[in-house]
Amino acid sequence: MKTAGRTRRFVAFLAERFPAEKMSLQAMVQKKEVPVHRWSWAYYLGGLALFFFIIQIVTGLMMLFYYEPSVATAHASVENLTNNVPGGALIRNLHAWSSSAMILSVMLHLLTTFAMKAFGRPRELTWVSGVLLLFLVFGFGFTGYLLPWHQIAVNATKVGLGSIDAFGEYLPGALSDLPRQLRETIQGGATVGQATLSRFYAIHVIVLPLVSFGLLGLHLLSVQLHGMSPGVDKPTGRTEKFFPLFILKDLKVWGVVFLMLATVAICIPFDAFLDYPLAAPYNSLGSTPDGIKPEWYFFWMYYPLELLPFWLVAGGMAVLQVGLLLVPRIFRGTSRKVLKSLAAAAAIYLIVITLFGQAIYEMFSGGH
Amino acid sequence: MDAFLYVGLPYLSLTVLIVGTVVRFRQAPFSVSSLSSQVLEKKQLALGTIPWHIGILILLAGHLVAFLVPDIWRSLTANRAFLLTVETIGFMAAAMAAFGLSVLVYRRLVTARLQAVTNRMDLVVLGLLLVQVLLGIGVALGKRWGAQWSAGTTSPYLWSLFTFQPDMTYVSDLPASVKLHLGLAWVMFALIPFTRLIHGFSVPLGYLWRAPQQVIWTTRRRLTRETARAGGVNPETSRRHFVKGLGGLVAAGVLMSVGVLDKLVGYFRGQRLDRTEQVDLLEKKLERLRATAEEQSLELERLQKDAILVAQLGQLDPKIGRYFTDYQMRPALAFKGADHLPILISAKCTHLGCTVASNVDDKGQIMCPCHISYFDIRTGQPNPGAPAKLPLPRLGWLLKDAKGTVMLTQDGAGNRTWPQGQEALDPASLDGLEVWIAKRFDTEGA
Repeated sequence: MKTAGRTRRFVAFLAERFPAEKMSLQAMVQKKEVPVHRWSWAYYLGGLALFFFIIQIVTGLMMLFYYEPSVATAHASVENLTNNVPGGALIRNLHAWSSSAMILSVMLHLLTTFAMKAFGRPRELTWVSGVLLLFLVFGFGFTGYLLPWHQIAVNATKVGLGSIDAFGEYLPGALSDLPRQLRETIQGGATVGQATLSRFYAIHVIVLPLVSFGLLGLHLLSVQLHGMSPGVDKPTGRTEKFFPLFILKDLKVWGVVFLMLATVAICIPFDAFLDYPLAAPYNSLGSTPDGIKPEWYFFWMYYPLELLPFWLVAGGMAVLQVGLLLVPRIFRGTSRKVLKSLAAAAAIYLIVITLFGQAIYEMFSGGH
Repeated sequence: MDAFLYVGLPYLSLTVLIVGTVVRFRQAPFSVSSLSSQVLEKKQLALGTIPWHIGILILLAGHLVAFLVPDIWRSLTANRAFLLTVETIGFMAAAMAAFGLSVLVYRRLVTARLQAVTNRMDLVVLGLLLVQVLLGIGVALGKRWGAQWSAGTTSPYLWSLFTFQPDMTYVSDLPASVKLHLGLAWVMFALIPFTRLIHGFSVPLGYLWRAPQQVIWTTRRRLTRETARAGGVNPETSRRHFVKGLGGLVAAGVLMSVGVLDKLVGYFRGQRLDRTEQVDLLEKKLERLRATAEEQSLELERLQKDAILVAQLGQLDPKIGRYFTDYQMRPALAFKGADHLPILISAKCTHLGCTVASNVDDKGQIMCPCHISYFDIRTGQPNPGAPAKLPLPRLGWLLKDAKGTVMLTQDGAGNRTWPQGQEALDPASLDGLEVWIAKRFDTEGA
């Protein structure tokens, strides 16, 4: 009896999230309206992230034609692509800049949809799939960083994976060795080596894209089914047609952004900010060079890890991840005003730690 | 002379600038602008003032960025592509500024109506600006890649001025043209409060955000023309516009696809190398393959053999460690201790697994560069408060003589045994012995 009730409720839940009667081109495209108000610009951010994702796929596939995923040849093949293949440097540069741009727009998308309470019923699954996509994006960043197999890539990956070991300290007795075994399972050996490269390559190029396609499909389907969320407490009543007006505007934004991205990719090599030895091929028998740091988009968790006790940061991260997934439930009754303040606080933290993380770190760690 | 030019003049001119501007704002606030002469002469003004302002604003922005963030600027301009882009933009802006300014000067000098509103200061400003722009172009052409060298010379000099610790050593070796460019800049800063240059403080940025205003003309001719422009739709012209626009879009699309296709074909055709480049590439590949092969042969050796040679004891040094690979394929360091016996210690930081550096400091410690932990090489203990909490594990070793007889062993805990008896080991001949690591001392996962 009880199970029957549960099943019925579950079916009803799904039916509300995926209404079959709306699954038509007419309802999902032709009839869709986009609200017009002060926060309308935020409706472009998700599409922008999608655009950068498309660029990643195209440039990524192009680089696959030249990349060789073995510790002996990875660095040389990337070097060859950059220095000798016509347009190779541009493709690689586009991939790198666009990855940063994608992460930036995904973060903004998260903050604005949170502030606009776009996760309210019936859009819970849109939010959850979005959060999962966010995790995937960070996974893309972490695994892709290793592939050129240069000093900073391998050493930063070592540090990143090494933090799994730190959990061991907090586990009792025989369990305390578990994190190390977990890390060695992930990296496929006692140290970061060929096995790690093969695994990260497979994850970066096959696993994550496939999972992303699935989640992205779900995400986009539910966006089209339920339409854009109102976004503000008092709708202005003004809307514009999704097709063709909003789509055209979206394409315009994509065009402008692509122009900017291409200009940056042509003029500024993404590794112009690194000191040269960091990009030299990885030497497993030498010492680790100075200045090993993750990409900017990991600063928000890297600097706290450097400054605060590990258990605090690890606990915070766990709370954050679970909290993000449960946002539709936790903030069900919160007003948009409060949500906006929370999003603003998060944005300020992210900006400050990303721009001034190093200065803050030096201030508190006694000037090393 | 240099002292006045580089230190006295700047402070003098900045004082004059600040005091003068404050006084002018207080005494004659409505004069903080540039007297317009658009009513008197329009065509040449447009030809001159627009390129001039676009050019000079780009140039000033470039100067400002190089001054504000010299470190980022330096690493950026170390890049050839970026440097070329920046210098090209700079030269284009300079050409625009010089052209526009020349038009403005010419217009001032030859238009009779303008003479009435031209005061002496206007001419001085125009003249100085022209000289300054030409000087700047001269410097950029004569001493190439100013975008790069300025980060190490003029930027730190300006910083020293603004932090009130003037240091002219950065710029004292610069050629006369640069000196003049700098000096003239300071003179012009001082002139700002007394001339039309003051309009830099009253840029009407509000225009960019104010609500749009519609100008409604009352004369009939204007009225019909403006209404047509504002959207009085004429089906014939609109059709023509549509066809023209479509044609433009198609042409742009074709051009773009041709360009993209060309690049794509080039990309997939791959590298076209000449002989030396091919040789270099192959050599590099082989070298990496050899390094990998060497690493894998080390691994094989560790699987097969019960003991592995690290070095001769005489080759070890108390201050600079010798890297070797332990039984787990992790980096390790070998030193010679104070008692002339080897010290073997893991070089894999117990914090996050970076490789510890090999040189020993005065306190007998080696440092992990990732998060700055210091480890004592004798005990392996990290310094108090270090990110690493666990000591670096010490490795056991064997000492063999030339015939392969084991003379002395030490396990990871530091316990020594003398298989041949303690007296068999001659302290004088220690340097000739060989240091080996042994599988039986290897502690899995330590």
